[in-house]
Amino acid sequence: MSKKTVAPKESNRYLSSKESSLFKELLSLYEAKQLKKGLKAADQILKKYPEHGETLCMKGLVLVHMGRREEGIELVRKGIRMDLTSHIVWHVFGLIQKGEKKYEDALKSYTQALRFDKENMNLLRDVAQLQTQLRLYDGLVETRYMLLRLRPTARQNWIALAVAYHLSGNLAEAMKVLVEYEKTLKNVPHYDVEHSETLLYHVRVLEELEQYPEALALLDVSAKDRAIVDKTAIMEIRARLLSKLRSAEAEHAWKVLIEHNPECYDYYKGYTSNQGLNLGLDENPSEALVILREFSTQLPKANVPRRLSLLLASNEEFEALAQPYLLSGLKKGIPSLFVDVKSLYVDPAKLRSLQDIAESIRKDTTPDPSSAPFSISTEPTTYLWSLYFLAQHYSYLSEYSKAMELLDLAIAHTPTLPELYTCRARTLKRAGDFFGASRAMEDARLLDGQDRFLNTKSAKYRMRAGLIDEASALLGLFTKKDAPSPGADLEEMQSLFYLLEEGDAHQRAGRLNLALKKYTAVQRVFDDYEDDQYDFHGYSLRKFTINVYLNMLDWEDHLRSHPSYIKAALAGSRIYVDVFDDPKLASNNVDGGGTDAEKKAKKKAKKAQKEKEDAAKKATAPTTSTNEDKGLDVPYKDDDPDGMKLLSAPEPLTLAAKLLQPLTTLAPNNIDVWISIYDVAIRRGKHLQAVQALARARALNPEHPELHVRIIHAKLSASIIPEPIPSPSGPVFAETLDKILPEDISLATFNSQYLQNHSTSAKAVLAAAQASRMLGTPLQEVEDLIFTALHDEVLLDIKTALEISGFLKKIKSSRVDELHKALDAKFIMSTAFKTLEELVKIREAVLTTNASSSNDRPDNDTTLVENETELGRVEAGGSA
Amino acid sequence: MNIRRARIEDLPGMQACNLRNLPENYSMKYYLYHCATWPSISYVAEDKGRIVGYILAKMEEETAETEQPHGHVTSISVLRSYRRLGIAKKLMLLSQESMASRRASHVALHVRKSNRAALSLYRDTLGFEVHDIEQKYYADGEDAYAMRLTLKHD
Repeated sequence: MSKKTVAPKESNRYLSSKESSLFKELLSLYEAKQLKKGLKAADQILKKYPEHGETLCMKGLVLVHMGRREEGIELVRKGIRMDLTSHIVWHVFGLIQKGEKKYEDALKSYTQALRFDKENMNLLRDVAQLQTQLRLYDGLVETRYMLLRLRPTARQNWIALAVAYHLSGNLAEAMKVLVEYEKTLKNVPHYDVEHSETLLYHVRVLEELEQYPEALALLDVSAKDRAIVDKTAIMEIRARLLSKLRSAEAEHAWKVLIEHNPECYDYYKGYTSNQGLNLGLDENPSEALVILREFSTQLPKANVPRRLSLLLASNEEFEALAQPYLLSGLKKGIPSLFVDVKSLYVDPAKLRSLQDIAESIRKDTTPDPSSAPFSISTEPTTYLWSLYFLAQHYSYLSEYSKAMELLDLAIAHTPTLPELYTCRARTLKRAGDFFGASRAMEDARLLDGQDRFLNTKSAKYRMRAGLIDEASALLGLFTKKDAPSPGADLEEMQSLFYLLEEGDAHQRAGRLNLALKKYTAVQRVFDDYEDDQYDFHGYSLRKFTINVYLNMLDWEDHLRSHPSYIKAALAGSRIYVDVFDDPKLASNNVDGGGTDAEKKAKKKAKKAQKEKEDAAKKATAPTTSTNEDKGLDVPYKDDDPDGMKLLSAPEPLTLAAKLLQPLTTLAPNNIDVWISIYDVAIRRGKHLQAVQALARARALNPEHPELHVRIIHAKLSASIIPEPIPSPSGPVFAETLDKILPEDISLATFNSQYLQNHSTSAKAVLAAAQASRMLGTPLQEVEDLIFTALHDEVLLDIKTALEISGFLKKIKSSRVDELHKALDAKFIMSTAFKTLEELVKIREAVLTTNASSSNDRPDNDTTLVENETELGRVEAGGSA
Repeated sequence: MNIRRARIEDLPGMQACNLRNLPENYSMKYYLYHCATWPSISYVAEDKGRIVGYILAKMEEETAETEQPHGHVTSISVLRSYRRLGIAKKLMLLSQESMASRRASHVALHVRKSNRAALSLYRDTLGFEVHDIEQKYYADGEDAYAMRLTLKHD
């Protein structure tokens, strides 16, 4: 807080000289976070001047720091009312709002404060940070300019102004400021990291202005003077600039980089594109292949040129390269070999060739049963890894029994290699046997209980099988012991993987409240990621690490394009839509529907919360108050542990729209996004937004089955709009919808045409059935249509089969059991369509196997045995 | 495989990789702090867009006048499914080189006493030496070896 000017005696800000100096002391005590003493000083002033606004605010601020938030904020509000023209009261209010992450409100308060103290550096600095957070770059330029004018001797103020210009899109001004700044510098020592970063930023500005010769000149002279210390950055920028300048030196510059780090793909890309080649996209790759061959010879240990050659080569050349590539990987026993080459399978000829090579290596290394075991002539590990490779290969190609046979051979050969069991698990999962998959993954984990990677995998597979408590017990082996639950620790550590897997597991089991809870937690992780940048608006400028800071801002602006956010937003939005359509879903879950472990964890969390609150209460007792600074940020408090409040929120569609909103710009090529936006908008009566979303979806894939259902839905919705939509939206709506599906085509015809065109796709069959149900087709006909998805010529996978089963249940068909029976026969290995009784047995078998082999497990894992009798959720893995 | 310097947009992938592999985990702000302060010394291994290994490192620069700055490895790990490719070694060497260009005299790290695989990588492959034993360094009460490697300067 900044110093106070003396107020005239008649003003309500007046303090006598004793209190006035006490107030100054209060300010410095606050700066030093001497909270207890500060509080005492404030109370002393208030004894004589109980309505002194600035003191009230300062006391309130101190109280918030001490964790007495509500009481403190009350005082701050009172203080503001007492002294509306004080910069201090508004500054305090701004700080509180910033702690609540209400950045816009905070900026308003700061602006108010600045009205009464125009040149206050502290205020201006905070304003600049808020403006950056809010991306108000024009205002930022003004603030930074003011700060520089007030204190031109602070180096940081120059850089800050340049950055502000840069962010506002004015690169030319940014550069001018940098040039001026560099003129003010004298005697910068060698190896000055801050100066080095500044120069790298200067080079970047020049490059972005396309002043390549100037950029290169500055880079070279700074490198020579050792003013830029980051050698790798120098080499990388140099190569890039030389390429842009089409300089003859560029080739050498890229080559130096490749020799420096032969495993960096980007360097090979730089080298070849400098030669006018485009890796993997050229019609005739022979030139690039020659280059890569040279590098392979020159750098015999480097993997990148060899792997790139596999992408580019074809036919005999491919085979000649692939054979030694696979053989060397199998000899070394590289576990990732299959994952590495799998992307080449888009080319069927390469797939075939890799399969042949692997099979032939397997044949050559198979031990001869007539000779003694482990004779010198055989290569037992190469044989083993070739079995592993081929098992992955056939599993990937959906040849599950072949893969399982190979794994049986491999496990008989070496029973202690966890990878063989993880592959078995994945194969079973693909085949739909979620329980068997979980058991196999647990077998892998038991071979190396110290490995968190295997632990995470096994927990994931348990969640896929609906064994959520059992998964949690596993995860708990590696989470903090003092956390209320394993999940709480993983959530705090921002494990998006965990939150999504458990959310999905709850969703599959119909516990929508708990699913929504996890999806919302994902949303909060991203909110936290976004808030994280705040401190760096000041910090990074003080450190002069501008380039990485600018990249950080850009990353933050695109944060929610992350696949985990998209997944959570779509899944959450779907639940909100379902609850809107059927509010009973919210009341059905009324007991909270938690599993045993969750209930236990909840109790524990409640207890921990109570203890915390008790401790806080103790702290609030004036006599025991401590100096501990709890900061200004509002601590996260979970007042809805089972997600029931979320699920029964009065405006589910508004919440859904909020989840989806960032995706319109960040994931515009994801058709599911537009379909979800349609679902939400049409239910909110936002017809224009709805059809525009359909148009966007249609541009991406006009034949998408989910889209087909929405087009019919939109047409039907349009026909029952009670009042015409007013202009200009009305005509645009009608026109857009007509473009998607012209008036003169009947919906029934449209639907049957769609089915005809896609009769071999199960998803399309499902879509057509859903649409015909909407169009009022009798149940029996819809059922008959659905059952055509079982015909041999229709491509049907387990996921779609589960969706089909879900649809039949939804329309209250009596043929669900019949469908399951047929599906069970179709997917032989799958447990997805077993009857309830069968599942009870299967689940028991999984858990007994686990329990019987639990000897190797650390002692604290006893939950499995405990949970063995809990069979309430057997259908979890079976139905969607 | 692509082994390169870590960028800001790699941080969620590094965080995810860390959570899968190791019991010591950090929130995003800690990763941001590393990258924003020492942008040149952390590296990643990326396979088709996925981070499969990383080294997260920092510098101790605010040292006493008699002491030179040194590097510190906060965390290094490679997904189990990407082992035996020498990724950890490559990441470590690249990081060390960048530390050296920031005048680091040595690089330090902690390793669990029980983690024999990591110990052998640091000692036998990379030439680290045990400098000290820190009692109960880890949250679960395990001791750590404090290891060091002197860096060469050209």
